[in-house]
Amino acid sequence: MTEPIIVGISGGVDSSVTALLLKEQGFNVECIFMKNWEGDDENCTSEEDYKDALAVCDHLGIQLHSVNFAKEYWENVFKYFIDEYAKGRTPNPDVLCNREVKFKAFLDYSLKLGAKKISTGHYARVKKNGDKYALYKGLDENKDQSYFLYLLGQQQLSKSMFPIGEIKKNEVRKIAQSSGLINYAKKDSTGICFIGEQKFFKDFLKKYIPAKPGFIQTTDGSNCGEHDGLMYYTIGQRKGLGIGGGFGNKEEPWFVSDKDLENNILIVAQGHDHPALFHKKLFADQLHWISGIPPKNISNLSAKIRYRQKDQNCKLSLSNNEECTVEFETPQFAITPGQSIVFYDKEECLGGAIIDHWR
Amino acid sequence: MPYFDHSATTPLHPQVIDKMNEVSEFNYGNPSSLYSSGRKSKAIIEKARHLIAQTIEALASEIYFTGSGTEANNMVIWSMIYGNKKHIITSAVEHPAILNVIEQLKPFGVSSTILPVNSEGQVNPKDLEASIREDTGLVSIMMVNNEVGTIQPIKTLSEIAQNSNIPFHSDSVQALGKIPLSVKELGAQFLSFSGHKFYGPKGVGFLYCKKETKLNSLIIGGSQEENKRAGTENVAGIAGLGEAAKLIYENLNKRMNHLIELETLFKEKINELNLSIIYNGDPNNNVPGLISISFPGNRSDILLAKLDRNGIELSNGSACGSGITKPSPVLKAMGISDEDNLSTLRISFGRSNTKDDIHQLVKEIGLIIND
Repeated sequence: MTEPIIVGISGGVDSSVTALLLKEQGFNVECIFMKNWEGDDENCTSEEDYKDALAVCDHLGIQLHSVNFAKEYWENVFKYFIDEYAKGRTPNPDVLCNREVKFKAFLDYSLKLGAKKISTGHYARVKKNGDKYALYKGLDENKDQSYFLYLLGQQQLSKSMFPIGEIKKNEVRKIAQSSGLINYAKKDSTGICFIGEQKFFKDFLKKYIPAKPGFIQTTDGSNCGEHDGLMYYTIGQRKGLGIGGGFGNKEEPWFVSDKDLENNILIVAQGHDHPALFHKKLFADQLHWISGIPPKNISNLSAKIRYRQKDQNCKLSLSNNEECTVEFETPQFAITPGQSIVFYDKEECLGGAIIDHWR
Repeated sequence: MPYFDHSATTPLHPQVIDKMNEVSEFNYGNPSSLYSSGRKSKAIIEKARHLIAQTIEALASEIYFTGSGTEANNMVIWSMIYGNKKHIITSAVEHPAILNVIEQLKPFGVSSTILPVNSEGQVNPKDLEASIREDTGLVSIMMVNNEVGTIQPIKTLSEIAQNSNIPFHSDSVQALGKIPLSVKELGAQFLSFSGHKFYGPKGVGFLYCKKETKLNSLIIGGSQEENKRAGTENVAGIAGLGEAAKLIYENLNKRMNHLIELETLFKEKINELNLSIIYNGDPNNNVPGLISISFPGNRSDILLAKLDRNGIELSNGSACGSGITKPSPVLKAMGISDEDNLSTLRISFGRSNTKDDIHQLVKEIGLIIND
């Protein structure tokens, strides 16, 4: 047998079809089910997903292995996640999970198992241009997940395959159904993987970070309510502010526009178009380029400051290897410290950085 | 495909298959029915009961059929909640089918003392003596450990319990068919067994309950099994179980010798590889054919996956529902480091394994570790 391609299978439809497509392309395929989180009351909470993965692998005649990366996830993803929230920022754990778990722990483990390459169910594409590997958006614009993969480097890309990046989501489901995969209609996972539904978010965070209630103020400094703890709010957030009538003169909704960490004050602005919610420049650090070096045309790039945002034209000025200032063509709504800004040259994902503050 | 995980389960013996097929095909009668086909089914069950009783030197009336070894354990432990003495003494190396049941019974007032084991996996009888209390209502110590194969000094432990008039139970699923087992000799009140561990079917087990010992039923309904286990009997399964027991009665020495031979060959061959290895268990008190072996510095999950790829099936410690390897609590209780724990394989031979299988196994292990 040739060296296998090892697919990280989650029990969902995307990774299942990934395994199926590679098998159809004639590769020797094996799958690994990863467990990255230990539940509180149950030792094996991911059992349902495992059962689906098992049924899919059995159906496809593929070997399935399992591995536990809960420790790696905790140390290298979760601690950072909590630290960031404690600082009042809004981190993106998926980005880090890809760098630290899926394309590090899982990749290393697969190589130890003799894999030639690994594969995951991400909507993205890898191409080799000359001697460099490049990451491209998935062909399905609505599902493109290159945003989450910008922290990958040359070594990881040289060992990765994303077959469903070449097709559309509805096509993936069709393939799953026509091939008899039991999970063809399974709901896509949403939210943060270890918390689950958004409504559990507050309770979850409370377990790890003590909440510090404080005042809510409008942009002109008048008190208009109380908050439960700055960490529970995200810049641009509209729901759950609890600002009643009597404030503001219009029927327009309120949005979180800033956090005054020093004084523990949540600052809100009324109306989606309020200027306090828009900024043209931002400063970002932890800069990473997929190719290893900055692109040449940094004054003519596009970027996303959140997943699924349309590409925004911008120009970049580098302070050093780690930090940069980004100036957008048009002001951006709710620039959020802790989130990733990811840079593109049309279809190619070039890299990104973590937003520190707007300017 | 060489299969070396007979402690997990065993393939059906061909004679067991024949027996079950025959019963499935011709005997549909409900054993509780009084007409001919019902009586026939009832007779099949009673015949199986006799074969089993004969194998462990019990009375047929002391055998109760269950759906598994786990169920037999549950019957005995759940019975505690009806009595006044609700303290159980057990060991740290028991199967979850004991430890989790006891845990579950806490809200019913059941408390427990969990005896430690030495580095070879044995309970010290003195520890048992010292932990008996006024309210101790049951001592439950497994006969053979499923992960390392250590045989407990059941006779001694059972005697200690008897001296204080405490019923003694032993989860014996790993013992039957691998060591001589006589209830006369052991003097225990309860023993649990599972069919699929000795070439019988899955989904059938039985409990030995010494006559005149108090036992409450767990599954309640009709009057099957002397009112101790309700539900229409799994007639074909029970027939297969009886057949499998009969085969032990007829072939135990031959089977044991075969296992010893394979084990000796394995150890001889693995020594030739000059790997760093550690055997776990008790060299003087182990069931034949079950080897717990650590390969320090080699993750067992990787070893397993690579062996699996080559069609060789065996296991490591205890995997949970999602197939994730965790440090085995049994090896932990024996004082083995987490690192060695996670590099441990359990190899358990069976009647169809051949010397060629052993050569292949050792060769593959060598190739993988030296790769």
